[in-house]
Amino acid sequence: MFNPNTPVLVVDDMSTMRKIVSKILRDLGFTNITEAADGTLAWEAITKAPAPFGLIISDWNMPNCSGLDLLKKVRSDKNVAKTPFVLVTAEAEQHQVAEAVKSGVDQYVVKPFSKDALQAKLEMVHKKYAA
Amino acid sequence: MNKNYEIHPSEGHIVLKLNGVCDYGNLKTFYDDVMEHIHDPYPYLVIDCENLASISKDWVRELLRVNLFLRSLNKQMRFVQVKPDLKNEFKSLGMDDAFKITGTVRDALVDFGLVARVSLDTEFINPFLNATLNVLKIQASIEARAGKIYLKKPDEKLLGDVSGVIGIVSDSFSGAVVISFPEQTFLKVMGGMLGEEYTEMSQDILDGAGEITNMIFGQAKLSLNEKGYGIKTALPSVVSGKDHSLNSKAQGPTIVVPFQSQAGVFFVEICLSA
Repeated sequence: MFNPNTPVLVVDDMSTMRKIVSKILRDLGFTNITEAADGTLAWEAITKAPAPFGLIISDWNMPNCSGLDLLKKVRSDKNVAKTPFVLVTAEAEQHQVAEAVKSGVDQYVVKPFSKDALQAKLEMVHKKYAA
Repeated sequence: MNKNYEIHPSEGHIVLKLNGVCDYGNLKTFYDDVMEHIHDPYPYLVIDCENLASISKDWVRELLRVNLFLRSLNKQMRFVQVKPDLKNEFKSLGMDDAFKITGTVRDALVDFGLVARVSLDTEFINPFLNATLNVLKIQASIEARAGKIYLKKPDEKLLGDVSGVIGIVSDSFSGAVVISFPEQTFLKVMGGMLGEEYTEMSQDILDGAGEITNMIFGQAKLSLNEKGYGIKTALPSVVSGKDHSLNSKAQGPTIVVPFQSQAGVFFVEICLSA
């Protein structure tokens, strides 16, 4: 699993969902969690962060800059392109999953989700990057 | 060799899915394969082009043969999920009159007269009810039970103090789904979702109603779009306050589903206009 000190960025326009994800992360031992209320603010946090984020967990469906837009920005910037990226979404239609995979997402978490479900996805992401 | 087409017989119709690049392979067997299925009880053919990248003239010719055969039997076919490039290709080949194009599989079934365009029937409502139960169970550890559905009276106010609202939009109909919580129920639901106890309303937790609505909508949309409803992505909003009401753009009937749960009662409303 990820080192508990890994800086994690949680992005969601709904404060409730940010709280849910952050709480699960804290329950899993993560101590360095930053929250952003949309993709634009998230990109600002990514580019201004003193230390690069080691994991980004972002909602897909947000106004202005969506999670998919944020993912594409991250993957196209050589400084942060290799950041593990997980999309969280209530939408799980096949074409959307395919689009996310094509854009370089590492895992896709469908709402509603339990702590165990998120943990399992994060373990998969960690394994991928540790390999 | 992988086939670049799949044939899925369904109730009263066949869905033929064309995949990838249709310019080689399997063309010789294609016509016979399709013909094998064109018999009662499958009088209608829907050609789903969602995953079709391009199609050669040879394939178009074979589809025209299928179309002519269907017409000779007074049967019909429709192309659905056709991308603009392909529409132009049909046009340049002079096929735009012969090949009827419509939006989704469901739109084709409506054209064939096999289903109503949309109605507040169990097929439409149940995905929302199932999603409501599932979302509350997984995200808030709350078990709920649906009560008796009833039709809402015109101008009747929402029954809760906090409501999450999301528009149901497709090319052929629109509507809305609303989940409405009395204050005490909402506080307990938020407590279940966030693992904390809440005794009063605050801005901090208010958007939780929108998030619950979003999750319910996402699950129901997935299930309905598998049946070809073509519902589009939408963002939820939250309305709160005692005796609040909504001015829905949907002019059709509204049904209310009362739910009993460990957190108290709450209500799901679904309205539609075709």
